[in-house]
Amino acid sequence: MNLQYVLPIWFFHWCEGTWLGSIIQQSKWSFALIETVHIMALAVLLGSFLIVDLRLFGLGMQRLTVAEVVGQFAPTSWVSFVVMVATGIPMYLSEAVRLSSSTPFFYKMVFLCLALLFHLTVHRSATNSGNAGTGLAKIAAGLSLVCWLAVALAGRAIAYL
Amino acid sequence: MHPADFFQWLNDLPFSVALREDDWPFPIIETFHILGLGLSVGVILWLDLRLIGLTLRRQPVSQVVSQLEPWAIRGFAIMFLSGSLLFLAEPMKCYTAIAFRFKAVMLVLAGLNVWYFHAKVYPKVAEWDTAPVMPWQAKIVGYVSMALWFGIIIAGRWTAYF
Repeated sequence: MNLQYVLPIWFFHWCEGTWLGSIIQQSKWSFALIETVHIMALAVLLGSFLIVDLRLFGLGMQRLTVAEVVGQFAPTSWVSFVVMVATGIPMYLSEAVRLSSSTPFFYKMVFLCLALLFHLTVHRSATNSGNAGTGLAKIAAGLSLVCWLAVALAGRAIAYL
Repeated sequence: MHPADFFQWLNDLPFSVALREDDWPFPIIETFHILGLGLSVGVILWLDLRLIGLTLRRQPVSQVVSQLEPWAIRGFAIMFLSGSLLFLAEPMKCYTAIAFRFKAVMLVLAGLNVWYFHAKVYPKVAEWDTAPVMPWQAKIVGYVSMALWFGIIIAGRWTAYF
């Protein structure tokens, strides 16, 4: 399973032909540099999400309420998410054709959509309810972590498979 | 014995060869190393930002430390274990790669920074636990920690190149 089943081949060629895509293709340093920023943003993103999800389990920043933890850590989560997308797009554009036949990349995108959807619905309900340690809180936190970790795992697998 | 001989000896160990040449060990261990970034650097970052005085300002420093440090320690344990195995998989490559030497030096400095914090700075935390401005020693520990950990991530990624 890969993106070629979803989008036409000309789309991937078009991506590689964009200014951004071709600039990055030509310089191997620019790709490595952008990827390094992608990884640093990943550390920040996963860390922020982990702290919020730990709080939903009733662990970590226990002296703050759930709402306070979300208030402190959510903004940084979203800024680092934007950085990851902003660095992810140029990397994607430079290799769109190769990635169109990549199974891990396909699943990375699937998990990303799932993670976002889950985060903006179930997870948001759980954090809005303000209760940690409840069934909803733990399921929301656990599944959210699994989704985001699956995105990272699939991302790493792109190089191997 | 020349250092290179030691790393070559490590490199020739059956364990090292297996880690390097079997299909799955390296990718699996490396995945733990990358995902572990969140629990280690991703958590300690917040402690550093508190020491600098930029975030969680209404929380006493001691409370931020006591609540976050145990998790960061678990994260760094994962990083240390997975990192050691990754090193054991490619000792010669790590020895010859300049980027990895930078990483190793920065890891040692990061450890010294942690020691300095706990031995010389944190014992007096009661004096500035809720202070509006952090003492310069605490700020330095925070800045140095962030610079080193992000430098370590960069050097780690660039080990693949040089």
